[in-house]
Amino acid sequence: MGFRTSLAIASAKLLSFACKIAGKQGVTMAGKLAMKIDPGILKKLSGQVRGEIIVTCGTNGKTTTNNLICSAYEAEGRKVVCNHTGSNMLMGVAAAFVLASKVSGKLDADNAVIEVDEASAKRVFPHMKPDYMVLTNLFRDQLDRYGEIDITMNLLKEAMDMAPDMTIIVNADDSLSSYLALESGHKVVTYGISEQVFHREDDHEIREGQFCKQCGHRLVYDFYHFSQLGIYHCPHCGFRRPDVDFDACRISLKGGLSFDVVQRAAAGKDQLPQRHIEASYRGFYNIYNILACYAAVRTCGLKTDHFDEMLKKYRPEFGRNELFRIGASTVLLNLAKNPAGFNQNISSVMEDESPKDLIIVINDNAQDGTDISWLWDVDFDRFADERIRSITVSGLRCQDMRLRLKYVGIHADLEADVRTAIEKRLKDGCGNLYVLVNYTALYSTHKMLGEMEGRREGAR
Amino acid sequence: MKLTIGHLYPDLLNLYGDRGNIQCLKMRLVWRGFDVEVRRFCIDDRVDFSDLDIVLLGGGSDREQMIVCRKLQQIQKDFRDYVEDGGTTIAVCGGYQLLGHYYNTPDGKMEGLHLADLYTEQGSPRLISNIVLKNDRYPYPVVGFENHGGRTHLGEGVEPFGKVIFGYGNNGMDHEEGVIYRNVIGTYLHGPLLPKNPHVCDDLLLRALRRRGYEGTLQPLDDHEEREANAYIVRRFAGSSDS
Repeated sequence: MGFRTSLAIASAKLLSFACKIAGKQGVTMAGKLAMKIDPGILKKLSGQVRGEIIVTCGTNGKTTTNNLICSAYEAEGRKVVCNHTGSNMLMGVAAAFVLASKVSGKLDADNAVIEVDEASAKRVFPHMKPDYMVLTNLFRDQLDRYGEIDITMNLLKEAMDMAPDMTIIVNADDSLSSYLALESGHKVVTYGISEQVFHREDDHEIREGQFCKQCGHRLVYDFYHFSQLGIYHCPHCGFRRPDVDFDACRISLKGGLSFDVVQRAAAGKDQLPQRHIEASYRGFYNIYNILACYAAVRTCGLKTDHFDEMLKKYRPEFGRNELFRIGASTVLLNLAKNPAGFNQNISSVMEDESPKDLIIVINDNAQDGTDISWLWDVDFDRFADERIRSITVSGLRCQDMRLRLKYVGIHADLEADVRTAIEKRLKDGCGNLYVLVNYTALYSTHKMLGEMEGRREGAR
Repeated sequence: MKLTIGHLYPDLLNLYGDRGNIQCLKMRLVWRGFDVEVRRFCIDDRVDFSDLDIVLLGGGSDREQMIVCRKLQQIQKDFRDYVEDGGTTIAVCGGYQLLGHYYNTPDGKMEGLHLADLYTEQGSPRLISNIVLKNDRYPYPVVGFENHGGRTHLGEGVEPFGKVIFGYGNNGMDHEEGVIYRNVIGTYLHGPLLPKNPHVCDDLLLRALRRRGYEGTLQPLDDHEEREANAYIVRRFAGSSDS
């Protein structure tokens, strides 16, 4: 390794350290600096990873799934490079490698587990060749950045073509992701949920991919899990949900998550391999996250002796159902950045039967997507419930959020400043506060709540 | 009195919160004591325009727009008769482009409905921005968000929906946005358009009511949330607020 590489690593580490002291998240900046000094640095460092490199793509569940995979590897004693904080564009990926390396330019890592933004994948893959890709789902998200979901699919396809030997582990319940994976010509492993979990009547959720990507005819669904995820087939051309290699069955959502994963791919055996999984977190979507992780690590051939233990110890990345205790109140912080994610969040809020106050923070910075019209695709009418004691709207686009609620007959208090909004509800609320935020409000709100709780800085 | 709103092809054209436009039209009628029915027409449903008072045609991806485009050719005459009879229509993004003569893309030319004298050529890059318009018809600015690859050009003497104060508009060149033709508004503005622009919504409602023979005026509503949300966008992007 040359002087340039060492300089790049040293500078990035210094910058990252300075940002930490200043209380800022400087991951992307550190990556940018390193790449500027040594444009080949990511290739040099990722080439030193001894074992497989796994990337996680998809609109929702990326960070949680990726971090679970990382934890599963670490639980088996592997040394892993991972972009935990969710900085998932080229500079964020570069930073993860740079900050894990020695200044000499040496990287000591068994594996890399990296989440990659769908639109950035084709910029990352020339520098880092993944062996496996987990594709969680494709929903509408940040239309102003990606244009339309078709554009996102094209960008992902270009990236997949750059890594022809890569195996894709895909959510079979999503027709868009499945189509993309199956069409790509890569080796494909599938996971999904074959049994019906929800029985809903008046369901008017906006769904992507209602039409067959192969022939354009309307898909027929036996049932939906949520959004467009479900059991589908095309009566016209025969495209259908692929057979599922890792199938979650006997699902229970009562007091945490519990289910069995059946490995249907193990054909020919009398007894299909099964594994019982339990986790203390909430939210149906977390079944997909855990299932994706399990399917991925099994496909990669990792032992899973410590998988249960890992799940028990796993703490979601900040702002994913993160609990704070502030005085006598409990505060649950959750990221909600697109309609599918927000609808799932609403389900998870409403699963809690006790009275609660709600704060919704909506920003429209570049990383959030400057177009907030998606707020109108979220089923906020479900908040019209007496157990929701109050709703406060906050953030740069609190006006839009208040208006959105007005048109489903829900009154909201307006407080643009997040800290003021939280402090007020801690004082006069019912002691059970939910804070739902989109992306750029996450870090600052997390930090704020941590301070209010009295956590030491950097305790995580 | 009852108005019927027809939402055309929400199964294909449902980008950018079109649901908000429907909800806004509906609630502003309900709050004033009118009856309202919303009919969703899926791509295989027959559309009888004689029952409809307001038609909404939303935006979709290019691929889905192509499917809708073929369908619209079949109902072109009925749609045109409805428009020429003063039928109220709001067409957003892809729906707006389809009102014109054609939409030319690298993948082929989409034949439009020829309802308004305009045409669209695909360009690069996409025009993506918050947007603020001014039109003397309305007491205060029109605000929204635009995201389109198409560059739309209006024919000679065709009235735009507004003059662009901030953002790109039809083609990023002539500072005009959208089209107004009879009781039709075509526009790239979503966000969605109507909730933050209750003046536009009420104008459309009144036109539809008048066509049904209603002679009164619209009872004013408490619009402070709408007005403040509108003023915020004007203040932040166009530097001042007229509202």
